[in-house]
Amino acid sequence: MAQIVIEDLAIEYKKPNSDARFMAVEGISYSIEKGAFVTIVGASGCGKSSLLMALAGLIPLARGSVTIDGKTVIGPGSDRAVVFQDASLLPWRSVLGNVSFGLEMQRYGGGDLKERAMHYIDKVGLTRFADYHPHQLSGGMRQRVNIARALAVDPEVLLMDEPFGALDAQTREVMGDDLLDIWERDKKTALFVTHSIDEAIFLADEVLVMGKDPGHVKDIVKIDLPRPRTNDMYDSEQFNEYRKILRNHLAKDMADMRMQTVAEA
Amino acid sequence: MTIALDKPVAASASLRERFEKNRRTAISTLSVIVFLLAWQFLPMLGAVDIRLTSTPLRVLKTAMELVPTADFANDLRISGVEFLAGMALAIAVGIPLGLILGTSRTARLFIDPPLMAIYATPRLALLPIIIVWLGIGLASKIAVVFLGAVFYVLINTMAGVTDTDQRLVRAAKSFGATRLDIFIRIILPSALPAVMIGIRLGIGRGVLGVIVGEMFSSEAGLGNKIMTYGEAVRIDHLLVYTLFVSLCGYLMTTGARLIEERLRSWRPQA
Amino acid sequence: MKGLLSLVPARWRPLVFGTTSFLAIFVFWEIAVMSGWANVFFFSQPSKIAVAAAAQIANGELPWNLWVSVMEFLAGFGLAAIVGISAAIIAGWFRDVEYVLDPFVWFTYSAPLAAFYPLFVAWLGLGLPTVIAMTFLFAVTPIYANTLAGLRNADPDLLRAARSFGATQSDLFLKVALPASVPLLVAGLRLGVGRALTGVIVAELFGATAGVGYSISYYGQQLQTTNMFVSLLVIVLMGVILTQLLAALEAQTEGWRVDPNG
Repeated sequence: MAQIVIEDLAIEYKKPNSDARFMAVEGISYSIEKGAFVTIVGASGCGKSSLLMALAGLIPLARGSVTIDGKTVIGPGSDRAVVFQDASLLPWRSVLGNVSFGLEMQRYGGGDLKERAMHYIDKVGLTRFADYHPHQLSGGMRQRVNIARALAVDPEVLLMDEPFGALDAQTREVMGDDLLDIWERDKKTALFVTHSIDEAIFLADEVLVMGKDPGHVKDIVKIDLPRPRTNDMYDSEQFNEYRKILRNHLAKDMADMRMQTVAEA
Repeated sequence: MTIALDKPVAASASLRERFEKNRRTAISTLSVIVFLLAWQFLPMLGAVDIRLTSTPLRVLKTAMELVPTADFANDLRISGVEFLAGMALAIAVGIPLGLILGTSRTARLFIDPPLMAIYATPRLALLPIIIVWLGIGLASKIAVVFLGAVFYVLINTMAGVTDTDQRLVRAAKSFGATRLDIFIRIILPSALPAVMIGIRLGIGRGVLGVIVGEMFSSEAGLGNKIMTYGEAVRIDHLLVYTLFVSLCGYLMTTGARLIEERLRSWRPQA
Repeated sequence: MKGLLSLVPARWRPLVFGTTSFLAIFVFWEIAVMSGWANVFFFSQPSKIAVAAAAQIANGELPWNLWVSVMEFLAGFGLAAIVGISAAIIAGWFRDVEYVLDPFVWFTYSAPLAAFYPLFVAWLGLGLPTVIAMTFLFAVTPIYANTLAGLRNADPDLLRAARSFGATQSDLFLKVALPASVPLLVAGLRLGVGRALTGVIVAELFGATAGVGYSISYYGQQLQTTNMFVSLLVIVLMGVILTQLLAALEAQTEGWRVDPNG
């Protein structure tokens, strides 16, 4: 049986400063096996982040349900941890303090908290920087802290919301490699939202393609590249095929966006 | 795995920057010296009436005589007590109220308009009615300091709370943080620098409040002496008190600013 | 509470709830005094204040005091705006001028300026000139300091872009730094308005022969709280109207502050 089951999910938002509502996501049904790495792609505004936040239990559902290991999600829980985009680290806490934060919030009682946090800081390669504050770190290092913070609570499912979105292309690639290294060790179920088609293919067992107005599942693309993944795969025939499929899916949404920017200008 | 560390901005200033800084200090110092010289010598040349300006040396001499007296110490003590009591009250009321108003959107809807009306009004206009209510003693001055300072503390605390980065709140929630956790671990630390700004601005207004309150109607205190010597046109005495009060204001504001900078040390300079 | 909130459309909430809370204050005040819970001698009563205000308007006292205060305010604030902005532009162009003015700016920022009131009385006598001088002194520093900060904080990217088109130093100052400083200049004016109002009121409280501040002080000595409240409410209105005017002006220039690329 699948570990995560999403059934007929709908998410509704209220427009700020008015009482109007709109549907961000509607009619999503999807299941994920334990230990799978799923990436989610789609044009801006297709509700991919909303879907992730719903899985995290951070926003209410308008309809449908999400179950993880048979338990219905009704709020945040220790079985899941979220890696956010940049700027979700507490600026007044050091790296060590930030990685300990999740454990503190979950009332961690299993031995030395500091030791455990240090273990995960080591895992992302930041041991030397444990006493630094976020503003002293580069964007890539901050996202390593973000990942360590999530891993430290030892979740069943890792939810990542465009964690490398603010990074430059080179750093992004290195971070992707390192993330896979870490993930290979204990194969936690992972969901990863991204804008980058290459990143989506490189990381995933399965790519969930979303369309907009309102957000829905357009396609599910299985990625049959062997693991561990290596950088030369980017140039392989097979990778190119996947790239084509995904680009085709996103082409219409991209054309819509082009119309929009022209209209705005 | 290689990690590139963003180097902090070079701590040692370049030669050019150091030269510019020295030049700045030199010109500023020179400017004050020229001002003092003009103040000292223009009356001698008959350009201005010495009875209306006194001279810096005269003021210095008077200060040396006045400051060590018991009378001066007594005035300082009275003004100090009024200021500290009013300030303490402003902090004790302003911070909790600011935290509550910052957290509750509904409360803000009701309180914001009257709050803004009071904020936009010079609170010193309340002075005469406060004197009617509380008399010309200590209590009315404490009230004036309180009213001068409390809104700065309150409004800045409120802004600090409402400006809390919602992304941090969301991250905390994702780890199962309770409302209390979020309040103590996220909202309080992010509001702290703003609270300090409120206290610093409040100090400035509090000092003004004590002095104006005492000048308007009192039996003792530094402001009382300022009015007394002013009415007697004894400019040297007047200036000793005026400059002393200004120095106090300057020192306290600077002190508060230093604490403020310390509190934000975790943040890069904007 | 949530149910009550949703009865009112979101757009109207600030206005509706703001008005409600002002009304609530007046009603509470009226009832507290009527029921004898608050002493009418100390707190007066909204209905009495309204009657007194009508009488003061009828006999011309209130309009005259308001006229005097507004004129003093405009003279002092106008002077402060002209001097503050001109000084900031000169200091923005010649750095040495900034350094010369620096110590005096620090001083006026941290000193309780009301302490200089007796000095002005000695120089200018009681009345109009002293009130205007105090108003000027209170308002000039924030206007100067904010305008200068605006000039200094011109976006380096904009300056670089302008230089790439061959802009000269004076082009940079007149066409980039000066327009870029407008939002902060307006913010300085807003701070200046508040401080100028304090300057007018404080100077009038101490010694004047007319003006709303003087009238509070005068009725205070006679222990006529009702008439004091009339003047107080006039001052509150002045403060709110002036702040709203400047806030509207600030909103007008707000668009300039937004980074057009971001």
